[in-house]
Amino acid sequence: MVTKVYGRKALLEWKLYLFLIPSLLMVGVFSYFPTVSAVYHSFFRWSGGDAKEFVGFDNFRDVLGDQVFWSSFVVIAILVVANLFKMIPSILIAVLIHRLKSDRWQYWYRVLLVVPMIVPGLVTLFIWKFFFDPNFGLLNAALDTLGIKTLLVHLDQLCGWNVFHAGMPISWLGEPSLIVPALILWGFPWIGAVGVLIFLAGLQSIGSEIYEAAELDGVTAFQKFLHIEFPLLMTQIRLNLVLMVIGTLQGFGLMLLLLGDNGGPGGRGMVPGLWMFNRAFTAGEFGYACALGLVLFVFILALTLINNKFVRVDK
Amino acid sequence: MSTNEKLSGGGRTGRDWTKHIIILAILALELLPFYMMMQISVKDNAGFLQNTWLPSAPSTWVWQNYVFAFQIIFPYVANTVVVAVTATAVGLLFALLGSYFFARYQMPYSGFFWYAFLLLMLMPGVANIVPLFALLKSLSLLNTLWALIILGIAGSQVFAIYVLRNFIEDIPKDLFEAAEIDGATHFQQLINVVIPLSGPIIGTLAILMFLGSWNDFLMPLIVLRDPELFTIGVGLIYLDGEYVKQWGQIMAAFFVASLPLIIIFLFCMKLFVRGLSSGAVKG
Repeated sequence: MVTKVYGRKALLEWKLYLFLIPSLLMVGVFSYFPTVSAVYHSFFRWSGGDAKEFVGFDNFRDVLGDQVFWSSFVVIAILVVANLFKMIPSILIAVLIHRLKSDRWQYWYRVLLVVPMIVPGLVTLFIWKFFFDPNFGLLNAALDTLGIKTLLVHLDQLCGWNVFHAGMPISWLGEPSLIVPALILWGFPWIGAVGVLIFLAGLQSIGSEIYEAAELDGVTAFQKFLHIEFPLLMTQIRLNLVLMVIGTLQGFGLMLLLLGDNGGPGGRGMVPGLWMFNRAFTAGEFGYACALGLVLFVFILALTLINNKFVRVDK
Repeated sequence: MSTNEKLSGGGRTGRDWTKHIIILAILALELLPFYMMMQISVKDNAGFLQNTWLPSAPSTWVWQNYVFAFQIIFPYVANTVVVAVTATAVGLLFALLGSYFFARYQMPYSGFFWYAFLLLMLMPGVANIVPLFALLKSLSLLNTLWALIILGIAGSQVFAIYVLRNFIEDIPKDLFEAAEIDGATHFQQLINVVIPLSGPIIGTLAILMFLGSWNDFLMPLIVLRDPELFTIGVGLIYLDGEYVKQWGQIMAAFFVASLPLIIIFLFCMKLFVRGLSSGAVKG
């Protein structure tokens, strides 16, 4: 392990501290200072300039009564649950790739998995925005061709949603009640390259003798998954879960670019981060935005600490 | 790693073709956006409306889309390359220095500094955006590429130092001692002992940092105002807003924006795949 250094020796090696200065300076100025500044400014009415007015806990009182903020948590909760199910295709494809006999195919599938990552995230996002386009979009074209559109129209008449109409293109990002479904549908078939690679790394510890033993016992493919692969994947699934929940709570880039900073028609796509962004850069209420950010921060930090307590992520 | 794969890999017997079909079907859907981008990028709107799904005949390809795309996107790509390369290089240098400090000796207060770094891993960054904007404003860094470079460097430190520290600690002590007897300073030890031994991990971190910088659009959107300074992030957002009708041109622009990463990927595919795998494990 690392040698401990005390007293005289430490004084002799004082130059080593110089090595830490660049990183420390960067992190101090651009990570710690903004956090402290956020706490400080959350007690002010402040529009980003020099002028500011101390208002005590007013901002936080306003946050408590902020309808938009709290209803945005409902949207986030729905998205977290949806993201939970969206992990299934990644697990499925990881298990399938792992079960292949040929190492060379395993490698090439891995390469193909990484390919979407070299397309900038923004480009993928805009291509999906184009998929959602009511007139030119591929999603409507695909739904028409596959006959799902007709099914949706019938369902609509049955349940009285008044959303899908025969002969009218579905306006995915224009119809308030379709915004959350569109956000969920986004990125189909929901393969996360990093997620799959995490799962594959977890599966690597399964020796072939375990499979051979299972095959001697005449175990079916699904039982193999349930009793061999799933238990071994639990660590990775939990790690992914932690990253996913925190990422979903913080994220608002997707909504900002797809729907704009108002959260789309009727504000149905509003998420907490987007509301903070909106208050700061659209309304100019920087102090209030700091307070919103801090409340969100406390939520995420609490979740992280709970995670660390109950979910031990091994290195 | 390859020996590991040889040992594991379930289902040694029986045929795999059903698995291949399912995997290929899922991958085909996953790569659909990529395919659509490529084939629409050489069509004009009329061609696209007539024939949405299939590639058009090479003789009808509209190359003007690419002329347009290069003119629009090239300056953005150049800006992004400047930001991503500088941020990655300087960020790596700082992280190497920092991790050397933690890994070489346990100096007084190094535990305190270590936890100061680790704490940042737990802290969600979302609350920082607003005060960060104000900070950049008061440093008069708004509307400069410097702001993005500096934020890229600062943002990558914690993870990079965390990974590199573990790696440097595993280097045998004898190597450092031998270098010290030869009169090498700590900086020379870093250059001559650490860097030659940590090529793959540095490459991996470089790729992750470069990707992070390349894909960022939130900070560029907040920071940049001048169209001449736009990185791909902001540039594409404005393009999407302005030229809504010409899908072929937009897709060509998207492809040009992806080109540098595609070239890098082709040259170091192995490092890419392995880097993302190991980066994934470290989380």
